[in-house]
Amino acid sequence: MANKSVWSDNRFWQRTAAWVTGFAAVLLIWLTFDTSAQISMGTDADLKDGVTKRVPGPTVINYKITYEMSTKRGHEVPVIGEKEKFFGRDDWSEEEAAELLHLGKLGSQAKNCMDCHTLLGNGAYYAPDLTKAWLDPAWGPEGSLQAMTGKNTKEEAMAEFLQHPSQYPTHERMMPNLGITEKEAIGLVAFLKHMSSIDTNGFPRNFGKMQGAVHGK
Amino acid sequence: MFEPMTDIVPSFFAWLNQGPLTLTIFLHTVIILPMFWIYKQEKNRLENEK
Amino acid sequence: MANNHLTSESKQLATWYFSFAAIIFGAQLLFGLVAAIQYVMPGFLFEIIDFSIARILHINSLVVWMVFAMFGSVYWLLPDETGIETVGIKIGKLLYWVFVAAIVIVVLVYLFIQVGPADETTIWFITEGREYIEAPRWADIGIVIVALGFVANLFLTGMKGKQTGIVTVLMADMIAFAGLYLAGMFFTDNITVDQYWWWWVIHLWVEATWEVFVGAIAAYGLIKMIGARRQVVEMWLWIEVAMLFGSGILGMGHHYFWIGTPEYWWEIGALFSALEPLPLVAMFIHVLYDWGKQQGEQNALGEKVSVINNKPAFTWFVLQAFGNFLGAGVWGFFHTLPQVNLYTHGTQFTSAHGHLAFFGAYATILIGMMYMAIQGTNGIKVMKHTKASIWAVSLITIGVMGMTVALTIAGYVQVLVSRAQMGATWAGYFDGQSGMWFAQAMDWRLLMGAVTFAGFLFLIKDFLSTGKDAAHQR
Repeated sequence: MANKSVWSDNRFWQRTAAWVTGFAAVLLIWLTFDTSAQISMGTDADLKDGVTKRVPGPTVINYKITYEMSTKRGHEVPVIGEKEKFFGRDDWSEEEAAELLHLGKLGSQAKNCMDCHTLLGNGAYYAPDLTKAWLDPAWGPEGSLQAMTGKNTKEEAMAEFLQHPSQYPTHERMMPNLGITEKEAIGLVAFLKHMSSIDTNGFPRNFGKMQGAVHGK
Repeated sequence: MFEPMTDIVPSFFAWLNQGPLTLTIFLHTVIILPMFWIYKQEKNRLENEK
Repeated sequence: MANNHLTSESKQLATWYFSFAAIIFGAQLLFGLVAAIQYVMPGFLFEIIDFSIARILHINSLVVWMVFAMFGSVYWLLPDETGIETVGIKIGKLLYWVFVAAIVIVVLVYLFIQVGPADETTIWFITEGREYIEAPRWADIGIVIVALGFVANLFLTGMKGKQTGIVTVLMADMIAFAGLYLAGMFFTDNITVDQYWWWWVIHLWVEATWEVFVGAIAAYGLIKMIGARRQVVEMWLWIEVAMLFGSGILGMGHHYFWIGTPEYWWEIGALFSALEPLPLVAMFIHVLYDWGKQQGEQNALGEKVSVINNKPAFTWFVLQAFGNFLGAGVWGFFHTLPQVNLYTHGTQFTSAHGHLAFFGAYATILIGMMYMAIQGTNGIKVMKHTKASIWAVSLITIGVMGMTVALTIAGYVQVLVSRAQMGATWAGYFDGQSGMWFAQAMDWRLLMGAVTFAGFLFLIKDFLSTGKDAAHQR
């Protein structure tokens, strides 16, 4: 028999496949430990001490959140500022805030939000991305969405919309009524506010910075 | 020569992430290098079989 | 398909799996059409079957029919590969009915209950609300039991009978496939942690274990259909396993760019996932190379007949090699680098890629396996194309390609207007959606969806009638 090349030898490729698969899996597990430590939720103490966490604690709802350019990192990052009232209070305790967030996260799954909207960019593309929805100028004091609901604060406007979405059409494509209760709506708004404080490495870019650039408006 | 971390939290992988491609090339290299060893072993085996 | 050319109970069970898969495939296309109509006419079935419900059914039936066809394929090839009847076939049959019953209940709940209050009962009994794996937790547990039963059958048979390279790969692959599902079964308030593990299921299924699975199926098909040499085919299979898992496992990083995970994932995700198309190119070359080689050997013997003993199945297999490379490889690479993905993440680009990749990589080869089952069930030696099989393959391919191109164009508009110019706000989103190019793209998508569905009708007609067709050599 002629010289058999290693390159056409099944055993060589079988061992290569086993090595590559095994080692890649080990690396992934190692990376998962490293990442898990970085994406665990922060605490109330972290917020008070100004410790930056990728995913802040639930009491972040007591603070004002903005989305600002970081020259060091080359993209925008959420910045947690001074205290801000959320449904009339800025002293939500750790337990209360965690309860609200729990309710909101459950609600976001129970109502299938992700099958029309995107959350952190993942989901369906039938409705706007909700990653930084809390920071959308349209829900702000001068914003059209807040004006539409007749409420005076961002959180009340969002909660009102969530409870009666088809009363406030913003486009021919409307959000259906999903039977969201008042309590659930408050939870969902807390969930959205918390999500806007997550450090998403600059996604989405230029959120809410540019307006009226289309069609020469 | 070495940059401080661009990431917010220091970690082994963030430290390897020194600039474009440093981390990923390192990982690719450590995956590919042992394949030379597997190759040599298999070559010896095939030669001994003859 | 009640016929007696099948002596193996395992193959009998495979035909059950294939039949149910074909039905669910139809459901997938039907609900896809509902969702496509809603993009064009938003009032369609509003607050009856909303987009979210239509889409859940569209993507869940996609996953379910593919899993059914995959289980079917394994039960089909096991007796051939191992040389023995599948061990524990009675339990296999029982689990089949458990699986079918669970799917039917889940679908009925999706359709008629749809959403629930924000508490744990909804997660347990109605929906988990996580894209692709919305199935409520009771069904999750059921799926895990069924999958473990299936894996047990595979392992016991593989260890008792002849353990070929193909069976070895399938055994390793299927245990990972079943195990990974566990990563998607828990609830957490931290959405970053939630999505981190969610991708363990979605990515490691679709871009690792499923890809390796179709590699094994392609190897089996080439041996069966054109008589390719096992030694060569299995060598390719090991190369593909090395490349697919080598790039696919850490390629998961391309889902960790923007969900709150550290920045180092940019690099890991970018280069590992950029290599993901390589094995797909290799598979493409491998299929065509084997075909040419076998045909060449045949011609050298002076025989002018084709080496292919199942034309429709082989057509779908070749389409798979091409579609996998184009849909998963090219369309995937399109937006896998972070600097591009920053703008394309969460737009119709993803959906264009999804349509072509799922079709190209999986639907094609699984339909091919169904044809092989029809051939075996009816005792056909050389299976020819029929008019219906040609119509089916043409219309479905044109339809899916058309949808992909339309969605890609829609994606461009969304990236340019909603993302780059308007910074991704609510108003920016709808500015993009109202653009003329976007609206026209969605019209084309609906039209091409209808073409695909027409192709599906031809496919079913062919499935039901081709077995008895006199044109085949028996």
